[in-house]
Parts: sequence; structure tokens; C-alpha cells
Amino acid sequence: MSVLARSVGNAFRNKIRTAAVVAVLAVAIGLALSMLVANQAVGAKVQELNASVGTTLTVNPAGGQGFEGGGEPLTSADAATAAAVPNVTSVVGTKALRLRTETTTAGSTDPADGAAQPGPGGPGGQAASLTTSLVAAVDAGTLGTRNNAGNSGSTAARTFTLPITATGIAAEVDTAGKALEITSGTGLGDYTVAGTKALVGTTLAEKNLLKVGSTFTIADKTYTVTGVFDAGTAFGNNAVYLTLPEAQALAGTPGELSSMVVTVNSMENVDTTKTELQEALGSGKADVTQGQRNLETAVASLDSVKGISLVAFIAALATAGLIILLIMVMLVRERRREIGVLKAIGARNRTIGLQFVLEALVLVALGSVVGAAIASFASGGIASALVSSNSAAGTTGAAAQRGPAGGLPGGAFPGGGQGGPFGGASQLLTSVTANASPGVIAAGIAAVFAVAVVGALVPALLTARIRPIEVLRGE
Amino acid sequence: MIEVKDLVRRFKSGDRTITPVNGVSFEFGKGSLASIVGKSGSGKSTLLSLLGALDKPTSGDVVVDGVSLAGLPDGKLTEYRRRDIGFVFQQFNLIPNLSALDNVMLPMEFAGIRKAARAQRARELLEQVQLEPEKHTRRTNRLSGGEQQRVAIARALANEPKLILADEPTGNLDEQTGEHIIELLSSLSRDHNTTILVVTHDRGLAQKTDRRFRLQQGRLNEEVTAGK
Repeated sequence: MSVLARSVGNAFRNKIRTAAVVAVLAVAIGLALSMLVANQAVGAKVQELNASVGTTLTVNPAGGQGFEGGGEPLTSADAATAAAVPNVTSVVGTKALRLRTETTTAGSTDPADGAAQPGPGGPGGQAASLTTSLVAAVDAGTLGTRNNAGNSGSTAARTFTLPITATGIAAEVDTAGKALEITSGTGLGDYTVAGTKALVGTTLAEKNLLKVGSTFTIADKTYTVTGVFDAGTAFGNNAVYLTLPEAQALAGTPGELSSMVVTVNSMENVDTTKTELQEALGSGKADVTQGQRNLETAVASLDSVKGISLVAFIAALATAGLIILLIMVMLVRERRREIGVLKAIGARNRTIGLQFVLEALVLVALGSVVGAAIASFASGGIASALVSSNSAAGTTGAAAQRGPAGGLPGGAFPGGGQGGPFGGASQLLTSVTANASPGVIAAGIAAVFAVAVVGALVPALLTARIRPIEVLRGE
Repeated sequence: MIEVKDLVRRFKSGDRTITPVNGVSFEFGKGSLASIVGKSGSGKSTLLSLLGALDKPTSGDVVVDGVSLAGLPDGKLTEYRRRDIGFVFQQFNLIPNLSALDNVMLPMEFAGIRKAARAQRARELLEQVQLEPEKHTRRTNRLSGGEQQRVAIARALANEPKLILADEPTGNLDEQTGEHIIELLSSLSRDHNTTILVVTHDRGLAQKTDRRFRLQQGRLNEEVTAGK
């Protein structure tokens, strides 16, 4: 009989006690695994949220945004100033253009079309809208008609074609700083030179029967589609991207920017960088907005849950280790005479110690099996309970912190809404789902075993101190 | 050859100092069967534990085949117990949740003997001590006292030790079973040339050994029998 077989046999020597020990261990291990699963789920969610928005600041001309408002346009010099601010990792300038369909322009004399007349000014705009061969993929519908009627001062209900937004970009990112998801074709190549390449949104491409290699015109200039992107929204996909110099040339405003997307090196530095950026550019020159204010609040709440779950995981792990330690100390004390017998017949200290460690691991293995089953059922509920208990505090904080950025309407730029996608921290918090993946469970069990080995080593070392004369105790 | 030189063992018991073994010296040849008699508490088991390296003397030495046990580190003493000593205890001291076979195999496992070889030898030893084959795989806590003592003797013989130390081997057994155990030990001494030292307070048992010693007030005296 090997040491392992003997250890397994010893683990089941007293079946009732073994069952009790395994049950207690299973609860501790189950709790530890549940906490680890919750921790991983929350960590993944935080990562996902960070990745979804990133650590970006949006800079608009002071007093304006998109095609609304007024003020002085941003320039390349402002971009250089922003790039020099500490913790700024990149500055991507954009230039937005409003495009009107040629047929709409030709066939209409109504100023409401906004094509024959100068379009709304604003920092990103130019003196007049540009014509295009493209037709907008978004129908005006009730909202568009109503908005357009409001703009023209007419209350007459009539149909018209919505404008298309063309944006010049200095890198392969949208106006929120997110990487463009190109579904077919390629990007624009060198974004720092003017050229006749263009990226079109999926719905715009479908509406105009465009594919990679197709052509269309803007201001009578022919552009070739090099790629089709998916912005994820109907509004975002009714758009065209050009290189920044090309858009500036089309607008006739070289060096001017509609907005800048400033990326900060870490979320912790976003607040300070925002303040420093605002100071560097001047509050009369630029508005710096932090789109992820709500996200930050949500992430802070989730980080709190992550911290709690980590502490609970460690505590449960330590409890499991302590249980093993106490049980094994008890067993060593109970089997002093037997240990004396083993020593009397020639067993080495390490053989006896190993036997006790293996016996502890057998108990832990049984506890882990039951604990993993408990975790697979309970981890979702425990994670939800942890998250919901923190969401109340999180959303209260979010409401208190919600500034103008949180309330800005989306849609001025494709994907440019600041508050829309992250309208409520509570929604983010409650969307955390914890699934006990085999990898996480395996990692948790490995940690439990590591702690159990440490817990079992102490009593195993105690066996070395037991003298063989113990065999004669009571004789 | 075992040589005991002026062996002393003292204990502190409260304010008192007890000396159960006080200057014991004797020599013991190979293949002999000897007994130490004495009253309960006379220090017989203490002397046995010193000879078997279960305990360390306050002074004096035990020399086995020219090797002094005094000053040997614990690891070497463990090796000495494993290789040279076989213990038979009054209360058998078998591992209760292991079978008779597994108990006999234990010392061989500690000596690094391969599994097949130790199983084979364990069966032979259990047959030698006349334990029925169907009881070989039975847990020892389900065997009778006599059967357990036979398993204990088989375990003591497992690594072919030079010296078997038996502490009251018949103390927990009825007379008939005790007789059988003594016969078994005598035959082992004769047939295997194994030195056997039996500690007992049973004079009847002591009469059946080749040499008899009496431990009194910590001192050992050999009883000389006419004709021996």
C-alpha cells in the first residue's frame, strides 16, 4: 500500500467526521470560488467598459459642437498644444462636413432643404454644404421632418432627404476615438495626406449600392470606396470618412478642425488631464468634455465590487486553509501513538509528513468537488447580490456627478453622442453576468490546494516532533 | 552482538527524579532468547525503549555490532530501527484501518522494498505465524488478540532484524494463546538465528527463555539456572 493509498484510506477512516469536514470545506471553497468568479466577471466587465470608451476626452470649439453653436474653430496648433499636455498619448483631429444629395439640391428651391442656402454654421461646418451623389440611408421620418420644419421656420409637413456627414479623420478612429470596425475592404492608408479614398458606413453603402472599388462624388470630385465600416448605429452608418487633409481641402479651411479626440494614458489621469487640457487650450477657445463620467462612476462601483470579492475570496481561502490546519492538527494529536508506531517501525519523518499532507489534500479535493458544484450554482446569485448592493451607492454617486457631458444628446457626429450609450451607471452595473468558467474554477481550486498544502504542512511538521517513544504511551 | 554499557535513564516527575534504569550493563549474543523480568513500573519497558532507540539514555551507550547508538542523529536511529530492530508490543500497535497484509508490508515499504516483493514476503510471514490466509486481507481491528499479536510478530520480522524486542507480548492474551506466542518466538530464535529479548512480569514465560535477567531498582541482574 503506497503512501497515497494509505492517505486516502485514512481520510475515510471516520466517515461521519470526513463528511462533516468535507461539508465545512465545501462551503468555504464554494464561497471562495464564487467570489473568484464574481471577481473575474466584474474585472472582465470593467475591462470591457474601459475598452468600449477608452480614456478619451473630446475637445470642441468653445460654444459649439458638431454643426450647432458658434465660436472659433480649432486649429492644428491647438492639436499640437493638446499633444503637449502631460499624460496625453494621442490627439486625433477631425473635420466634419455636411453633404447634401445632388438631386435634392437641384430639384428644390425650398430653403428648408438647406442645400441651396448656407447650411447651419458652427465650428465644424463650412460656409455652404457640399453636394454629393450619395443618398442618405436614414429616412427623415417624423423627427427629421419636424426638426427640419423647425429649422426652416415652416410648419408644413413635407418630405426631404437628410444630410450625410462626412468626416475627415487623422487616424483610423471615429469621432469618439474608437477604432473603426471595417467590415470589408481596407482603411484609407495614410491619413495625413489628401486623397480620393473614402470609407462609407454599411447602411449608406447598401442604400447607394456601393462596395469596395465603387465611386461617388463630393463637390463634383470622384471618390473611391476603399472600405465599408460598421459604426453599430443607423446614424453612425449614414456617414463617410475621408482623410483629414482631404476634408479640410473640401471645406476650404486648411488647418481647421471640428473637434479633437484626446487619449489619456490611464483612467486615473483623465480628470487631471482634462483640467490641464482646458487650461492649455483656454476656456474661451475650447470645451473639453469627458464622455465617460458615468462610465467612470460605474467602473468605480464595479472596482469596489471587485475589491470586495477579492477580499472575500482571500478570506474564504484563508478560512479553508485554517479549517485544514485545525483538522490536521487535531488528527495529528489524535494519532500520536500511531505516528509513534510508524516511527518505531522505521518510517522517516518526511514519509509521515507526506502522508498527512496527502490526507489533507484528499479532504480538500472532496471539498473542492462539492465546492465547485456550489460555486457553479451560487456564483451568479452572489455576484448579482454584490453588484446590486453596490449599485445603489454607485448610481447615487453617478447622479451627483452627472455633469453636462452626461446629458448631451448623441447624434451631432456619427457616434459622437457623449451621454447616450452610458446614460446610467445602474444599467452598467446590473449588466454584469457571472458564469463559472472551467478556467476560473480550475484557477480557484489551484489556489485552494496551494493554501491547503500550507495549512497541512504545519501539522505535518508537527509529526516530526513526535518521538517514537509515544508508541509506549499507555502500555 | 549487542553490548549495553552502564546505561542510565532519569526522568523528572514533579520535584522528584526517577531513575528506572540505573547503570545497566550486559552483553547479548546472536540467536539467543532472553527475558527481563521485574515488577510493574520497574523500568523494563524503559530499558527496552533504550535498546530499541525509541528513547535516548541519560548516559551510557548501546553498541550494536560495534556501532554506538549514542550520538547517532535521529535519521540514523530511524534507519537502525527500520533495519535492525523488530518490535512486538503488549497492545500490538497495529494500524487498525489496514489489513494484516498491509501492516506486515509497512516496514518493508519504509525500507524501499518493491511492492510485489514485499507482498510476497508478507504472505510468507503471515503463514509462518500461522494466520489463516482468509484473514490476511482482513482489517486488524477485526482480528482476535492472538491473531493481532501474530500479525505484530510477522511485522517485526518483516525486514529480517537482528534483534526482536518484545514488550509483554503475552500480557493481553489468554494463557493458551500466550503459550503459542512463546513457542513462536522460540522457534524464530532457533530457526532464524534472531536475537529475541522479551520483557515480562510473567515468570512462567521467563522460564522458557535461555537467559533471564531481573530488573530491580534500576539495576539488572542475571538469574543463573542450574544446567544452563
